[in-house]
Amino acid sequence: MKPPAFAQAVLTAVTGPSWADCVAGDLAEEFALIYQARGRRAAVRWYLWQAVRSAAPLMVLGIRSGELRDCTLVALASVFIPVVLMDRLWCFVYSQIPMKDGTARAPELLAANVVIACLGAAIFGLAERSGMSPQVKALSATAAAGLAVCGSVGGAPALYVSSLLVCVAASCLFGAARRRLA
Amino acid sequence: MPKGEVLGEFEHLVLLAVLRLGSDAYGMRVRREIAERTGRDVSIGAVYATLERLEQKGLVSSILNDPTPERGGRAKRSFQLTGDGADAVNRAHQDLTSMQEGLAFPFAKGAR
Repeated sequence: MKPPAFAQAVLTAVTGPSWADCVAGDLAEEFALIYQARGRRAAVRWYLWQAVRSAAPLMVLGIRSGELRDCTLVALASVFIPVVLMDRLWCFVYSQIPMKDGTARAPELLAANVVIACLGAAIFGLAERSGMSPQVKALSATAAAGLAVCGSVGGAPALYVSSLLVCVAASCLFGAARRRLA
Repeated sequence: MPKGEVLGEFEHLVLLAVLRLGSDAYGMRVRREIAERTGRDVSIGAVYATLERLEQKGLVSSILNDPTPERGGRAKRSFQLTGDGADAVNRAHQDLTSMQEGLAFPFAKGAR
Protein backbone atom coordinates (compact mmCIF):
# COMPACT_ATOMS: atom_id res chain seq x y z
CA MET A 1 0.00 0.00 0.00
CA LYS A 2 2.62 2.51 -1.08
CA PRO A 3 1.97 5.77 -2.95
CA PRO A 4 3.37 6.09 -6.51
CA ALA A 5 7.14 6.46 -6.21
CA PHE A 6 7.57 8.90 -9.09
CA ALA A 7 4.97 11.36 -7.75
CA GLN A 8 6.57 11.07 -4.32
CA ALA A 9 10.01 11.82 -5.78
CA VAL A 10 8.73 14.87 -7.67
CA LEU A 11 7.03 16.25 -4.55
CA THR A 12 10.14 15.64 -2.46
CA ALA A 13 12.24 17.42 -5.06
CA VAL A 14 10.08 20.52 -5.19
CA THR A 15 9.42 20.84 -1.44
CA GLY A 16 11.80 22.50 1.01
CA PRO A 17 13.56 20.12 3.46
CA SER A 18 11.66 21.37 6.52
CA TRP A 19 8.29 20.72 4.85
CA ALA A 20 9.00 17.64 2.72
CA ASP A 21 8.58 15.12 5.53
CA CYS A 22 5.24 16.36 6.82
CA VAL A 23 3.78 16.87 3.32
CA ALA A 24 4.78 13.32 2.30
CA GLY A 25 3.46 11.94 5.61
CA ASP A 26 0.11 13.70 5.22
CA LEU A 27 -0.28 12.45 1.67
CA ALA A 28 0.71 8.91 2.69
CA GLU A 29 -1.85 8.96 5.50
CA GLU A 30 -4.68 10.14 3.24
CA PHE A 31 -3.56 7.77 0.48
CA ALA A 32 -4.03 4.86 2.91
CA LEU A 33 -7.52 6.08 3.85
CA ILE A 34 -8.59 6.38 0.20
CA TYR A 35 -6.99 3.02 -0.60
CA GLN A 36 -9.11 1.32 2.07
CA ALA A 37 -12.30 3.14 1.11
CA ARG A 38 -12.13 3.20 -2.71
CA GLY A 39 -9.34 0.91 -3.82
CA ARG A 40 -5.86 1.26 -5.27
CA ARG A 41 -6.74 2.88 -8.59
CA ALA A 42 -8.71 5.68 -6.98
CA ALA A 43 -5.97 6.22 -4.39
CA VAL A 44 -3.23 6.39 -7.03
CA ARG A 45 -5.31 8.73 -9.18
CA TRP A 46 -5.94 10.96 -6.15
CA TYR A 47 -2.25 10.98 -5.22
CA LEU A 48 -1.11 11.90 -8.72
CA TRP A 49 -3.69 14.68 -8.93
CA GLN A 50 -2.55 16.04 -5.56
CA ALA A 51 1.09 15.92 -6.72
CA VAL A 52 0.28 17.83 -9.92
CA ARG A 53 -1.74 20.48 -8.10
CA SER A 54 0.61 20.80 -5.15
CA ALA A 55 3.93 21.02 -7.01
CA ALA A 56 3.71 24.74 -7.85
CA PRO A 57 2.52 26.00 -4.41
CA LEU A 58 5.08 23.81 -2.63
CA MET A 59 7.87 25.05 -4.87
CA VAL A 60 6.83 28.66 -4.25
CA LEU A 61 6.78 27.86 -0.52
CA GLY A 62 10.30 26.42 -0.71
CA ILE A 63 11.62 29.39 -2.67
CA ARG A 64 9.90 31.91 -0.39
CA SER A 65 11.33 30.30 2.72
CA GLY A 66 14.79 30.35 1.12
CA GLU A 67 15.23 26.57 1.25
CA LEU A 68 14.96 25.97 -2.47
CA ARG A 69 16.29 29.23 -3.86
CA ASP A 70 19.81 28.02 -4.62
CA CYS A 71 18.58 24.67 -5.85
CA THR A 72 16.06 26.31 -8.20
CA LEU A 73 18.65 28.69 -9.59
CA VAL A 74 21.07 25.85 -10.36
CA ALA A 75 18.31 23.70 -11.85
CA LEU A 76 17.23 26.62 -14.03
CA ALA A 77 20.80 27.20 -15.15
CA SER A 78 21.43 23.55 -15.95
CA VAL A 79 18.16 22.71 -17.68
CA PHE A 80 16.01 25.62 -18.74
CA ILE A 81 18.76 27.80 -20.18
CA PRO A 82 20.02 25.04 -22.54
CA VAL A 83 16.43 24.36 -23.66
CA VAL A 84 15.81 28.04 -24.40
CA LEU A 85 19.18 28.40 -26.18
CA MET A 86 18.37 25.33 -28.25
CA ASP A 87 15.01 26.74 -29.19
CA ARG A 88 16.55 30.05 -30.30
CA LEU A 89 19.25 28.29 -32.30
CA TRP A 90 16.69 26.09 -33.98
CA CYS A 91 14.65 29.16 -34.99
CA PHE A 92 17.81 30.81 -36.38
CA VAL A 93 18.72 27.71 -38.43
CA TYR A 94 15.20 27.53 -39.85
CA SER A 95 15.28 31.22 -40.79
CA GLN A 96 18.43 30.58 -42.90
CA ILE A 97 16.74 27.90 -45.03
CA PRO A 98 14.46 29.53 -47.64
CA MET A 99 11.94 26.69 -47.77
CA LYS A 100 11.80 26.44 -44.00
CA ASP A 101 11.64 30.16 -43.17
CA GLY A 102 8.48 30.94 -41.23
CA THR A 103 7.69 27.28 -40.66
CA ALA A 104 5.67 26.94 -37.50
CA ARG A 105 7.21 24.87 -34.72
CA ALA A 106 5.07 21.99 -33.56
CA PRO A 107 3.47 22.84 -30.19
CA GLU A 108 4.10 19.24 -29.14
CA LEU A 109 7.85 19.92 -29.35
CA LEU A 110 7.59 22.83 -26.95
CA ALA A 111 5.38 20.76 -24.62
CA ALA A 112 7.90 17.90 -24.72
CA ASN A 113 10.71 20.34 -23.91
CA VAL A 114 8.85 21.76 -20.94
CA VAL A 115 8.02 18.29 -19.56
CA ILE A 116 11.60 17.12 -20.00
CA ALA A 117 12.95 20.30 -18.46
CA CYS A 118 10.72 19.68 -15.43
CA LEU A 119 11.99 16.10 -15.19
CA GLY A 120 15.57 17.34 -15.38
CA ALA A 121 14.91 19.95 -12.73
CA ALA A 122 13.38 17.27 -10.49
CA ILE A 123 16.40 14.99 -10.92
CA PHE A 124 18.80 17.81 -10.26
CA GLY A 125 16.73 19.04 -7.33
CA LEU A 126 16.86 15.60 -5.70
CA ALA A 127 20.63 15.40 -6.09
CA GLU A 128 21.15 18.95 -4.89
CA ARG A 129 18.92 18.39 -1.85
CA SER A 130 20.46 15.10 -0.81
CA GLY A 131 23.81 16.66 0.05
CA MET A 132 25.74 14.42 -2.33
CA SER A 133 29.26 15.00 -3.53
CA PRO A 134 29.97 17.42 -6.40
CA GLN A 135 30.70 14.43 -8.66
CA VAL A 136 27.21 13.02 -8.12
CA LYS A 137 25.73 16.44 -8.64
CA ALA A 138 27.68 16.79 -11.86
CA LEU A 139 26.37 13.40 -12.96
CA SER A 140 22.82 14.41 -12.21
CA ALA A 141 23.30 17.68 -14.09
CA THR A 142 24.58 15.62 -17.02
CA ALA A 143 21.47 13.42 -16.84
CA ALA A 144 19.27 16.49 -16.67
CA ALA A 145 20.90 18.12 -19.67
CA GLY A 146 20.87 14.75 -21.48
CA LEU A 147 17.12 14.65 -21.05
CA ALA A 148 16.91 18.19 -22.37
CA VAL A 149 18.94 17.15 -25.45
CA CYS A 150 16.54 14.27 -26.08
CA GLY A 151 13.63 16.69 -25.77
CA SER A 152 14.99 19.09 -28.35
CA VAL A 153 15.13 16.73 -31.30
CA GLY A 154 17.35 17.81 -34.13
CA GLY A 155 19.36 20.08 -31.89
CA ALA A 156 22.99 21.07 -32.11
CA PRO A 157 24.86 18.82 -29.68
CA ALA A 158 27.84 21.16 -29.53
CA LEU A 159 25.77 23.93 -28.03
CA TYR A 160 24.39 21.59 -25.42
CA VAL A 161 27.75 20.14 -24.57
CA SER A 162 29.29 23.57 -24.11
CA SER A 163 26.32 24.78 -22.02
CA LEU A 164 26.50 21.60 -20.00
CA LEU A 165 30.20 21.96 -19.28
CA VAL A 166 29.72 25.51 -18.07
CA CYS A 167 26.68 24.60 -15.97
CA VAL A 168 28.25 21.52 -14.38
CA ALA A 169 31.40 23.44 -13.50
CA ALA A 170 29.28 26.28 -12.11
CA SER A 171 27.14 23.90 -10.06
CA CYS A 172 30.21 22.15 -8.61
CA LEU A 173 31.78 25.48 -7.68
CA PHE A 174 28.48 26.59 -6.24
CA GLY A 175 28.16 23.44 -4.14
CA ALA A 176 31.71 23.74 -2.86
CA ALA A 177 31.18 27.41 -1.98
CA ARG A 178 28.02 26.56 -0.09
CA ARG A 179 29.76 23.88 1.92
CA ARG A 180 32.58 26.28 2.77
CA LEU A 181 30.10 28.93 3.88
CA ALA A 182 28.20 26.36 5.98
CA MET B 1 -4.55 48.24 9.37
CA PRO B 2 -1.53 47.25 7.23
CA LYS B 3 -2.35 45.34 4.03
CA GLY B 4 -0.51 42.19 5.17
CA GLU B 5 -2.73 41.86 8.22
CA VAL B 6 -5.96 41.54 6.28
CA LEU B 7 -6.98 37.89 5.90
CA GLY B 8 -7.54 36.50 2.43
CA GLU B 9 -10.57 34.28 1.91
CA PHE B 10 -8.57 31.04 1.88
CA GLU B 11 -6.46 32.16 4.82
CA HIS B 12 -9.68 32.77 6.72
CA LEU B 13 -10.92 29.25 5.89
CA VAL B 14 -7.62 27.69 6.97
CA LEU B 15 -7.61 29.62 10.26
CA LEU B 16 -11.18 28.51 10.98
CA ALA B 17 -10.24 24.89 10.18
CA VAL B 18 -7.27 25.10 12.58
CA LEU B 19 -9.59 26.55 15.21
CA ARG B 20 -12.16 23.77 14.73
CA LEU B 21 -9.61 20.97 14.82
CA GLY B 22 -7.87 22.17 17.98
CA SER B 23 -4.91 20.00 18.91
CA ASP B 24 -5.46 17.75 15.88
CA ALA B 25 -4.80 20.47 13.29
CA TYR B 26 -2.25 19.36 10.73
CA GLY B 27 -2.08 19.60 6.94
CA MET B 28 -4.15 16.57 6.00
CA ARG B 29 -6.88 17.21 8.60
CA VAL B 30 -7.10 20.88 7.65
CA ARG B 31 -7.45 19.91 3.97
CA ARG B 32 -10.18 17.38 4.74
CA GLU B 33 -12.02 19.74 7.09
CA ILE B 34 -12.21 22.42 4.39
CA ALA B 35 -13.22 19.85 1.75
CA GLU B 36 -15.98 18.36 3.93
CA ARG B 37 -17.45 21.67 5.04
CA THR B 38 -17.15 23.73 1.86
CA GLY B 39 -17.06 21.07 -0.87
CA ARG B 40 -13.79 22.53 -2.21
CA ASP B 41 -11.19 19.99 -3.24
CA VAL B 42 -8.12 21.95 -2.15
CA SER B 43 -4.61 20.64 -2.65
CA ILE B 44 -2.26 19.83 0.22
CA GLY B 45 0.27 22.21 -1.37
CA ALA B 46 -2.14 25.14 -1.17
CA VAL B 47 -2.92 24.31 2.46
CA TYR B 48 0.76 24.16 3.47
CA ALA B 49 1.64 27.30 1.53
CA THR B 50 -1.15 29.13 3.35
CA LEU B 51 -0.22 27.70 6.76
CA GLU B 52 3.39 28.80 6.26
CA ARG B 53 2.23 32.30 5.28
CA LEU B 54 0.01 32.46 8.37
CA GLU B 55 2.94 31.33 10.49
CA GLN B 56 5.09 34.09 8.99
CA LYS B 57 2.37 36.59 9.91
CA GLY B 58 2.37 35.22 13.45
CA LEU B 59 -1.24 34.04 13.30
CA VAL B 60 -0.46 30.34 13.85
CA SER B 61 2.41 28.46 15.45
CA SER B 62 3.57 24.95 14.67
CA ILE B 63 5.31 22.08 16.41
CA LEU B 64 6.88 18.99 14.86
CA ASN B 65 5.54 15.74 16.37
CA ASP B 66 7.25 12.36 16.44
CA PRO B 67 7.06 10.13 13.33
CA THR B 68 4.32 7.47 13.28
CA PRO B 69 4.11 4.15 11.33
CA GLU B 70 0.81 5.03 9.59
CA ARG B 71 2.57 8.02 8.03
CA GLY B 72 5.40 5.88 6.72
CA GLY B 73 7.66 6.90 9.60
CA ARG B 74 7.32 10.59 8.82
CA ALA B 75 6.87 13.43 11.27
CA LYS B 76 3.67 15.42 11.60
CA ARG B 77 3.56 19.21 11.94
CA SER B 78 0.68 20.40 14.09
CA PHE B 79 -0.62 23.97 14.05
CA GLN B 80 -2.44 26.09 16.59
CA LEU B 81 -3.82 29.58 16.66
CA THR B 82 -1.80 32.28 18.40
CA GLY B 83 -3.26 35.27 20.22
CA ASP B 84 -2.86 37.38 17.07
CA GLY B 85 -4.56 34.61 15.07
CA ALA B 86 -7.55 34.65 17.41
CA ASP B 87 -7.72 38.46 17.06
CA ALA B 88 -7.61 38.15 13.27
CA VAL B 89 -10.44 35.59 13.24
CA ASN B 90 -12.54 37.76 15.56
CA ARG B 91 -11.91 40.83 13.41
CA ALA B 92 -12.81 38.98 10.21
CA HIS B 93 -16.00 37.69 11.86
CA GLN B 94 -16.96 41.21 12.98
CA ASP B 95 -16.33 42.58 9.50
CA LEU B 96 -18.45 39.90 7.86
CA THR B 97 -21.27 40.24 10.39
CA SER B 98 -21.25 43.98 9.99
CA MET B 99 -21.37 43.76 6.18
CA GLN B 100 -24.17 41.19 6.26
CA GLU B 101 -26.33 43.09 8.71
CA GLY B 102 -29.75 43.90 7.26
CA LEU B 103 -29.35 41.60 4.27
CA ALA B 104 -31.75 38.69 3.85
CA PHE B 105 -30.18 35.33 3.05
CA PRO B 106 -30.30 33.24 0.92
CA PHE B 107 -29.93 35.95 -1.67
CA ALA B 108 -32.05 35.45 -4.80
CA LYS B 109 -30.20 35.29 -8.13
CA GLY B 110 -30.23 38.61 -9.94
CA ALA B 111 -31.65 40.45 -6.91
CA ARG B 112 -30.29 43.93 -6.16
